[in-house]
Amino acid sequence: MNQAPAALDLRCQLTQPVALDLRLQVRGFTVLLGVSGAGKTSLLQAIAGLLPARVSPFGDLPVEQRPIGYLPQGYALFPHLRAWENVAFPLPRSARRQTEALALLQRVGLKELAERFPAELSGGQKQRVALARALARKPQLLLLDEPTSALDMATRDEVLDELIREVHAFGIPLLAVSHDPHLAMLADHMAILREGRIVQEGPPVEVFARPHHQTTARLLGFRNFLSGHVDAQENAILRVAGAGWQLQAESRSSLPMGTPVQLTWRAEDLFLEEASGLPCPNRLVVRVRASRAEGLSTRIYLEGPAPLEMLLSRQQAEAAQINPGSLLKVCVQPRHVQIMIEEVSS
Amino acid sequence: MTARRGKKRREGNAWLSRVLAVGVFVFLLAPFAALFFATDWADFHFAQGDLGAIRTSLLYSGLAVLLAVLAGTPLAWWLARGHWRGKWVLDALLMLPLLTPPLALGILLSSFYGPYSPVGSVFSQAGIYLTNTAPAFILAQIYGAMPYYIIAARAAFEGVPRELEQISRTLGRNRLQTFWQVTLPLARIGLSAGVALAWVRAMGEFGIVLIVAYFPQGIPVKLWVNLQDIGLDAVYPLLWIFFLVAVPLPLWIGLRARRQTQALF
Repeated sequence: MNQAPAALDLRCQLTQPVALDLRLQVRGFTVLLGVSGAGKTSLLQAIAGLLPARVSPFGDLPVEQRPIGYLPQGYALFPHLRAWENVAFPLPRSARRQTEALALLQRVGLKELAERFPAELSGGQKQRVALARALARKPQLLLLDEPTSALDMATRDEVLDELIREVHAFGIPLLAVSHDPHLAMLADHMAILREGRIVQEGPPVEVFARPHHQTTARLLGFRNFLSGHVDAQENAILRVAGAGWQLQAESRSSLPMGTPVQLTWRAEDLFLEEASGLPCPNRLVVRVRASRAEGLSTRIYLEGPAPLEMLLSRQQAEAAQINPGSLLKVCVQPRHVQIMIEEVSS
Repeated sequence: MTARRGKKRREGNAWLSRVLAVGVFVFLLAPFAALFFATDWADFHFAQGDLGAIRTSLLYSGLAVLLAVLAGTPLAWWLARGHWRGKWVLDALLMLPLLTPPLALGILLSSFYGPYSPVGSVFSQAGIYLTNTAPAFILAQIYGAMPYYIIAARAAFEGVPRELEQISRTLGRNRLQTFWQVTLPLARIGLSAGVALAWVRAMGEFGIVLIVAYFPQGIPVKLWVNLQDIGLDAVYPLLWIFFLVAVPLPLWIGLRARRQTQALF
């Protein structure tokens, strides 16, 4: 429907309530990931003009004149107005006001619920009404605060797919802030907010594959971290050693010997050597500390060179008969191990 | 065995709380029932001047409430939304007229607005006399009603989520438009309660009015005069009228507010 995703360059400097100074590309559906308290909501409020800040573009306009659609957490629909009246709120008073509002509601598939009050709508429906209301102003930028927080697991993916489809159809750049890596996976572009700055930015497939910092990796769902130093490099394989362990990792760039680095990999990428029958260049002997059912998987907490986590399917966990205290030989493939330059403080 | 005993105890507690609730209900409403029986229905008539008192009360209370609402709403909004150092001092000062006994407040008003006071003489020069006149009557009612309205309105404004006002701004509405289209409709239940409270206070104001504006007599002062001059029997008809005109508005607003609150949230 649209060719290249709509894009916008954002700049924001904020001192209160959190210090932020960042530059960010909003391309199509962009997700900014950050931990709670990182200032995500403050950033959106600053861009929208609700907090005093130096912002570009639109920073010189008063809040009511900025061409920005802002959807806060919970969507903030006006409880005293019906769905169509909410959508009509930003429209100028005219005979066509209701018709225009209904047309927007139809575009988000909710025309039949136009007469309902927000209290009579589900989370997903509220979100779509709020989106239609924000679009009624014909914004040049859409801001979404934690768009998945008010949705239940069953409808979340469905609602998000629809939201992204609609946003692409309307051709307006959208910035969503979240702590939910699943949302970032669906984005055209993503960025990581840490200590008031953007520490990494790029297409999700790149950021998810190559987190630059431990905090980024944690946000993206990495759970295993080992600190060591570069021991040797053979072609694309880097050998990293720590106290009592040595692991191989694929690396695109070369690092000098002795460089302190941190290795990380996902709990899903750790597997049992015996059960797999795969070659195991990266073996670790670990002790089972505890295990916990996680949906149809089992998360196993391990004691090794550092606390580690492994996610096995239910069948694998049952077959392996894993008990607290037992010793296991676990493996991770070099291509799944990410290398990060050791942070001075984390 | 234990489960059965527990169930019995729960049933006993439920029964006790029901009896207590009915008891309190009867205690509160019994005097009103007494009025019904005490009234001489066969000889139901008004004393001389009663109708004038009704007219005075209705007209001036309406005016007093209108002025209290017009002047009190901006102050209530300012108190609800403003943040500045030392705001608590203002909060405490606002409680002062509320906590002062009406008779004492009447004396204060008399000293401040009376004909021999500097303020009173300024008004007198402008042809407005603030003792025993209609303006004095309205002034006394405003002092009796406005603090209650401001406190109720302030709570109503505080109950409006700030986020909705902010969203209204991001949707192209300026502060004033936001106030009319979002704040006011969402605070209307609390504001209505404030108006109802102010109405009852203004209609029933006796202490301040007695000192500042004995004339023109409204219903409360006329009730007192009837009781003094004629006796208890002369009070009942006017009392009925007082209930008929003063109570329905707050009762209606209260019931409506309950229904709307349930529908909205």
